[in-house]
Amino acid sequence: MGILDGLGQGFSVALDPTNLLYVFLGVLIGTVIGVLPGLGPTATIALLLPLTYEIEPVTAVIMLAGIYYGSMYGGTITSVLLQLPGEAASVVTTFDGYQMAKQGRAGPALGIAAIGSWIGGTVSIVGLVLLAPPLADLAVEFGDPEYVALTALGILLVTYLGTRHPVKSLAMAALGLLLATVGQDLITGTNRFTFGSISLFDGFDFVAVAMGLFGVGEILYNVEKTEKAQALKSKISNIWPSRKDFKDSSGAIARGSVLGFFLGVLPGGGGVISSLASYGMEKRRAKDPTRFGKGAIEGVAGPETANNASSTSAFIPLLTLGIPPNVVLALIFGALLLNGVQPGPQLIDQQPEIFWGVIASMAVGNLMLLALNIPLVGFFVQLLRVRAGILAAFALLVTMAGVFSVNNDVFDMWVVLAFGIIGWLMKKTGFEPGPLVLAFVLGSILEESFRRSMLISGGEVSIFFTRPMSGTLFALMAVVVIWSTVQGIRRRRKRSRPSTPGEEDLAATGTTAEPEGTPGYENTDDTEGATTGAPRDGSGATGGTGSTASRAQDGGPGPDRG
Amino acid sequence: MRRSRYTWPALIAATTLTLAACGGDDGETSGGGGGGGDAAASDYPTETITLIVPYAAGGPTDLAGRTIGSCIEEELGQTVVVENREGASGSVGMQAMIAGGNDGYTLSLIAVPASATNPLQDDVGYTNEDYVPIAAVTEIPSALIVGQGSQFSTAEEFFTYAEENPGELNVGVPGTTTSQAMELRRLAEEYGVEVTPVPFTGNAEMTTAILGGNVDAIFINSSQDVLANIESGDFVPLAVSPAEPVDYIDAPTLAESGFEELTSSVSVFGLAAPAGVPDDVVSTLEETVDTCLQKDEVREQLGEQYVPDEFIDSEAFSTRIDEIVEAYGPILQE
Repeated sequence: MGILDGLGQGFSVALDPTNLLYVFLGVLIGTVIGVLPGLGPTATIALLLPLTYEIEPVTAVIMLAGIYYGSMYGGTITSVLLQLPGEAASVVTTFDGYQMAKQGRAGPALGIAAIGSWIGGTVSIVGLVLLAPPLADLAVEFGDPEYVALTALGILLVTYLGTRHPVKSLAMAALGLLLATVGQDLITGTNRFTFGSISLFDGFDFVAVAMGLFGVGEILYNVEKTEKAQALKSKISNIWPSRKDFKDSSGAIARGSVLGFFLGVLPGGGGVISSLASYGMEKRRAKDPTRFGKGAIEGVAGPETANNASSTSAFIPLLTLGIPPNVVLALIFGALLLNGVQPGPQLIDQQPEIFWGVIASMAVGNLMLLALNIPLVGFFVQLLRVRAGILAAFALLVTMAGVFSVNNDVFDMWVVLAFGIIGWLMKKTGFEPGPLVLAFVLGSILEESFRRSMLISGGEVSIFFTRPMSGTLFALMAVVVIWSTVQGIRRRRKRSRPSTPGEEDLAATGTTAEPEGTPGYENTDDTEGATTGAPRDGSGATGGTGSTASRAQDGGPGPDRG
Repeated sequence: MRRSRYTWPALIAATTLTLAACGGDDGETSGGGGGGGDAAASDYPTETITLIVPYAAGGPTDLAGRTIGSCIEEELGQTVVVENREGASGSVGMQAMIAGGNDGYTLSLIAVPASATNPLQDDVGYTNEDYVPIAAVTEIPSALIVGQGSQFSTAEEFFTYAEENPGELNVGVPGTTTSQAMELRRLAEEYGVEVTPVPFTGNAEMTTAILGGNVDAIFINSSQDVLANIESGDFVPLAVSPAEPVDYIDAPTLAESGFEELTSSVSVFGLAAPAGVPDDVVSTLEETVDTCLQKDEVREQLGEQYVPDEFIDSEAFSTRIDEIVEAYGPILQE
């Protein structure tokens, strides 16, 4: 099927009234939860997962995708107006966006963010259309060794990139891998860690685990906090950016689109990394870097473009390889499986309506967001008045009913509660659930593929290195490990000397951001941190500062590779 | 196995009691046409029937369950509620059915051989004596398939090569305890033709593996998606699994290829009830399923080719299960 035919079919799916309604619902929910600091896309999608069971798979994915990129828009609003990032990918927007608002330029900041997001999203959709089908053709050739390489790379990058504490992430990833081994062994049929309970024969239910860790864990964590949203400080007037604003930010938007697109495809990439990378890139390129942190419009336009671009391109590995690159996509992967759709290289051929329908819906959804955001900013901000307690109780109810509905199994409800408490404890102690969940999903693919590779090769480990694709991927992994180790050592040395201004792109981001960024972090409860590993700190002001710097380091590989 | 003997008297007692109960409140015959033949002993059904499908919604078993469920509803005039209770390759659903009681109002779809082999392998909370097969709905053979450009174009070439190069050929199977995997083990043990079974989960993964040339062949349930790939020429069938040739797949049977014993890898989806269900309930349902399977719209929904040519009633279905237990029991209990 040609691209045009595909798009034609896609739009006929996306413009179907039901689907249109769900795109709208998705982007609306996305914007709302983007605004609300307590809920991010990960938690929301986790909570809504079982409800998608009742609707067509394509409609489900359309809605969930809408939530994801919608939240990228929504997060901006509170970042700019209140210096309170609604979700993690908008943390960098607080640096310059809030400054712009203080200077009475909240309107243009929001305007450029919405326009940039739309452009980034659109560029990514074009990239998706052009790249995904050939990639899927290539992916048919992928055998088990390639899947081993890809999943291992994914787990590695998730624990390395964008996490504050690689060791903690690694521990969580290991736990995820361990949890993935529960259940019947595919190769021998033996039961592992089931303790005679047939509810565990199939292992832990992914939906239940994710809902527990992200949904319930998040809810519990939020209930503990008593913060109230600050009153609106600035009026929003004249949202349309001036000609000069456009001129200043056009380069940032163009670069952000491309950067976001590539970082989104990368396993472990996603909104936070790409917005940080874009901010760093803009700052490094600027003639006068000192403007950053004081209301530079590029500092809003670039990151906002990049996070939206990445949230679209992240669908490429999922739809072509069946491998979710980040946690949000892992949840969407779960939604597809729940609906009896196996994402993989054959999806485009066998269920073109899903592939093209989702893509077309993104184009539609991004337009809706552009239309929604600009006039309705004031309304969305009012949402902050909803009391966290009410929201939490409601969300918990939906969660429990939802998870039961998936398998009609009470056992799953206990799993949700147990993982909810684990998730809450993890948040309190600074462990991220993201690597755990992603390793849990990728772990079973990794194990099955590894063991099948061994069966196919007759036990020769060389199968992983002699095949060109998997060999390359393993080489890439070695490079990542070596490179980041070297970087780590270099940084440690550098830190002992007095730092020179503007030395390393992202490290610099961190330092400049400190004065404004710190309080923002304190208020932020970054729900998506998981994916991404934005700062989550329970440790007070110093933690905020520290996290900025170290996060910048970890994010470092991003722009260079992209 | 042995323990089940003790349950027999109890089952018989339960049956008698239930029958007596049924006979007692014999006021008027039900509106449905099904139970008419079996005297006026029963007015089953008088209330909603729950039909458990022990697999995920949207799958082939779910399709069979929902199709036959709605036809039973139409024929017997009582609501049939289909409930998906997936998990542990069907064992969760079987447990749920048995827990639902043997009054004939909790039924389950079963997918043989899995339903019969699960209890042989693990303690899954039921045994093969705990349920009564009622009638088969669809029968899906397995097919040994190679990709378009394969060096093998006939079963003979394939098996000759496999015999000369033991273990060299990798054959994808849909799971390690499936009939396909067990047939391949029997192929090695009883006929000395050794291939390496490579377990996958589900048809989609196996299809990708064969199209990408990552395995040499697949031994797969020939469901609709597989037939479509055969039609398009992407798949080349070398052999089929049932005892008799399959008219919609152009390939010899394994038996014809020299492996007379290998005829058990056929998935049968059918209806079952908990052991001890009244006999007249069984016969009512048997008749209803038979009627349903003659209806054009039902046949079409199920896939015409998968509806058994000859109706498989309770007795024939039981025999089939016994054969499977006999064939695979020893392998599974190793």
